[in-house]
Amino acid sequence: MAAIESKDIHKLVVACDAGMGSSVMLATQLRKQLKSTGVAVEHTPVNEIPKDADLVVCHTGLAARARAVAPGVPLVTFQIFIGDPAVTKLVSTIKNGGTVDA
Amino acid sequence: MPDAAPLPLEPRAVVLDARAAGRDDAIRQCGELLLAVGAITEPYIASMLERERSISTYVGEGVAIPHGTAKAKQDVLRDAVCVVRFPEGVDWDGERVGLCVGIAAKGNGHVALLAALADVLLDPDRARNLREATEVETVMKELL
Repeated sequence: MAAIESKDIHKLVVACDAGMGSSVMLATQLRKQLKSTGVAVEHTPVNEIPKDADLVVCHTGLAARARAVAPGVPLVTFQIFIGDPAVTKLVSTIKNGGTVDA
Repeated sequence: MPDAAPLPLEPRAVVLDARAAGRDDAIRQCGELLLAVGAITEPYIASMLERERSISTYVGEGVAIPHGTAKAKQDVLRDAVCVVRFPEGVDWDGERVGLCVGIAAKGNGHVALLAALADVLLDPDRARNLREATEVETVMKELL
């Protein structure tokens, strides 16, 4: 488990397997929702998570691979693209301040 | 000037009255459609089934977006999507799916369409319109 203060999140990486599906949808939505916060949202294959990622978001099924590639980086996992409470909470924490425990 | 790239969704890749025996059958039908429009070669279809078994592509609002694995990008000829509607619904690991958006992509040609799909699905009224569409035109308008 790792935690990060919302103010320390500068780069959020949505990690995916093929980059074809819901991770693309999530990245476009997060980019929109976090536009006012200045947090950069990137979208990369799970084995290419960049070293300077402050926070990784990925599907639950990719969590083990994401942890192996980016050990120690807080990881938020989602199950279903629409209305996943983990994503809703993350956006609200980044916008309103607080700690992301992941 | 190169020829304009074909739109990632063509009217002939939209089927609004399909029936499927189950999840895998629905995915196969999406794959066959992508094959018919020249977006993939046949092995891609097996990779769509493989991907679904490892991580579900159900995204909510009765919609699934089956697609292949990273490795199967070699079987993608061009970025394209298809839309297959199952008015009677398909059991998708306990979820009921009424619409599939099948995806084949090796570049970024499908990203704008997926962004549009995300906007539609996050709006329950528009999601219902898409799910219940009986005209190809309606689907094209929502996604392009």
